[in-house]
Amino acid sequence: MRPLDLFWLVVLLLPPVLALTVLPPFGQRMVTLVGVYALMGLGYQFVFGQLGALNLAQGALFGVGAYVAALTSPVLGFLALPAAVLAAAVPAAMVAGPVLRLQSHYFALATLALASLVNLVAVNAESLTGGANGISGFASSLPRGTTLLMMVWACLIAGVLLAAHLFRGSLGEGARLLREAPLVAATLGLDGGRWRLVAFVAGGAMAGLAGAFSAAVSGVVSPDVTGFSIMVLCLTSVVIGGARHPMGAVVGAMLAVCLPEMLRDFQGAWLLAYAAATLAVVLWAPAGLAGAIDRLRRLPAPAARPAEMPARLPAVGGPRRLVLDRVVKRFGGVDALAGVSFALERGEIVGLIGPNGSGKTTLLNVVAGLDRADGGTIALDSVNLERLPPHLIARQGLGRTFQTPMPEGESRASDLARAVSTDAAFLLLDEPAAGATDREREQLAMTLRRLRDAGRGIVIVDHDIDLLTRVCDRLICLDGGRVIASGRPAEVRADPAVRTSFLGLPAAAA
Amino acid sequence: MAYALIALGFVLALNAAGAVNFAHGDLVVLGGAVAVVAGVSLGLPGLALLPVVAVTLGAAGFVAARVAILPLAGRPPEATFVATIALAAIVEHGLTVGLGAAPLAAPSLVGSGSLEVGGLALGRQPLAILLVGGALVTAVWFLLERTQTGRRMRAVSSDRYMARAIGIPAARYIALSLALAGALAGIAGLLLGHQFLVAPTQGAGHMLKAYIAVALGGWGSVPGALLAALGIGFFETFVSAGLGDAWASAALYVGVLAFLAVRPQGLFGEPAGRRA
Repeated sequence: MRPLDLFWLVVLLLPPVLALTVLPPFGQRMVTLVGVYALMGLGYQFVFGQLGALNLAQGALFGVGAYVAALTSPVLGFLALPAAVLAAAVPAAMVAGPVLRLQSHYFALATLALASLVNLVAVNAESLTGGANGISGFASSLPRGTTLLMMVWACLIAGVLLAAHLFRGSLGEGARLLREAPLVAATLGLDGGRWRLVAFVAGGAMAGLAGAFSAAVSGVVSPDVTGFSIMVLCLTSVVIGGARHPMGAVVGAMLAVCLPEMLRDFQGAWLLAYAAATLAVVLWAPAGLAGAIDRLRRLPAPAARPAEMPARLPAVGGPRRLVLDRVVKRFGGVDALAGVSFALERGEIVGLIGPNGSGKTTLLNVVAGLDRADGGTIALDSVNLERLPPHLIARQGLGRTFQTPMPEGESRASDLARAVSTDAAFLLLDEPAAGATDREREQLAMTLRRLRDAGRGIVIVDHDIDLLTRVCDRLICLDGGRVIASGRPAEVRADPAVRTSFLGLPAAAA
Repeated sequence: MAYALIALGFVLALNAAGAVNFAHGDLVVLGGAVAVVAGVSLGLPGLALLPVVAVTLGAAGFVAARVAILPLAGRPPEATFVATIALAAIVEHGLTVGLGAAPLAAPSLVGSGSLEVGGLALGRQPLAILLVGGALVTAVWFLLERTQTGRRMRAVSSDRYMARAIGIPAARYIALSLALAGALAGIAGLLLGHQFLVAPTQGAGHMLKAYIAVALGGWGSVPGALLAALGIGFFETFVSAGLGDAWASAALYVGVLAFLAVRPQGLFGEPAGRRA
């Protein structure tokens, strides 16, 4: 996420300034509404924009905030606002536990079911919510007019600045990895569930606040505020504005409030136009209007900063020994790993060789926790890893790199650099030299030696047997999920079984 | 039975597109609306509306595939989610602008009244729904399992890259699946429209029930979705007879949340890998 520049700061500050100085009350009300929707959208950007998960409960949490503000304000006065924030955040936190582990399509369904439930309560619990008639007559105990406007925009401006600041640095990078390459994120120790929990609850709290403000603006709360159309409005305005642009929610909300005024004579037509615009944005301008404006201003697109190998590699501490004992992994009836045992010390490089399908990548996946072992134990010193989720294994001091799909604009070198930057004591490298030029291979060899000298333990899978012979202390050859040879590189290369199964040479040296 | 048709179309579209079609419920409503318009303005009898609705909504499904699903094939599933939600909103607000927000009654299929069969009074309309629904499910089964076209549709659904690699024009079959899904949704809309009326805002509810059916029945499983849809239909009928509509829906949603909390991978689990 790019930082806000002067242009966007002006766009952000202009509406409230105009509203307070020149606009008539009607215009002030519109500006307040923009702030309300933008606040809800900003919260929505956390889960939907940053983490890429389709949350369909944001509208319902907005409604919860509105109802709670309406119900509690006669007693609590201004304190109804924090009450509404709590009322939205608490159920979000309660359902978040189970819901956030779900895959994308179930996550959407669960949040949709939750939203439908809230709507059902709003319509049917007449003694509490007033049923279809809703609640009114509470507005006098909530802030109004310019006070309300200033409060809404103060919250919004603080939120936008804070979000832009937070997502600029490592937080934004972490979110991008979780969104685009969840496996990489996990092997770097990022706990996706926890991130989603925080984003979901924080986003929900903002929806609750926005809902409370909307109750103060309109003075009436009816079941409509919990309905699916609010959700769709929130989603579409964030998409149109720019789901990941720090100003996306504000731009989207400006359109959502101004369009109906401009198309006033056509009644529902503005919603139609808004929906069509959303589709157009999804198809042709995924960065949204705010992103398109940045392009018109000829700002370069925010590029992902590829990680770079640190110039100095300080010695790392942590566990001293990685031990695999009779590790088994089956896929259906195939034994991908049929009892693999070996040990690795820090400050040692072990090369894993073997023909295609011999279980090399599977072994790395099982050690990193991306696949579950069906038998055997894997331990870092005294800590058993075989039942831990990937991000906890990473935090024990084990990093890995990947053979295939990297997020756009990334290279194997930055993948390696990122794994190194976690200070993992042990690194699992999957074909780091694939597709590399001779020069890059040389650099890689040098990096590996430096890592070893800094006290890291490395398991490297590659097909470049000459590279491995040069840098590795030991080679281990797998075939059919078993270790068929292990020892110093020259010994393993001379081993008859290795020569026939992997090197494709006659069993005896020529 | 009408739920079963909705869920059947939903799961066909889901498998073909590889992503949830959030506009499916609105295609159901659109089907009802076409029935209303054609029934009133053209004065067509109920049965003659079937092909009219099927063809119109088949075309709508085709258009949905062309504008909101195929162009986004290379993007994360969330892009398709948002595109189809936008499409759903376009249909909903288009109908509101065109026909107004008030519920309208679709013509009945074969007239009202009831038949006496073996001492039981059966409503004509429910009976017709049962027959039409049963016939369509059978026809779709025959198409998918017994014809070359159906085989290709299934091939594209299970692995579109592999299907393309062996020479099947995947995009055409995805569009065809969506057209079939649209036709089924439309007919469901026609069938439901007489008893439950047609209103632009009903789409989300239809979609949600089909979504739930597919989640309960095993993601992507056609018979599972059918069974779960029938189950949901019975469940709602019985619970709402005893306790009222609101409780029936509430129980359904709570049940789904509890189910997802206990079985986050779905009823029958799923093969590894991400799908949406």
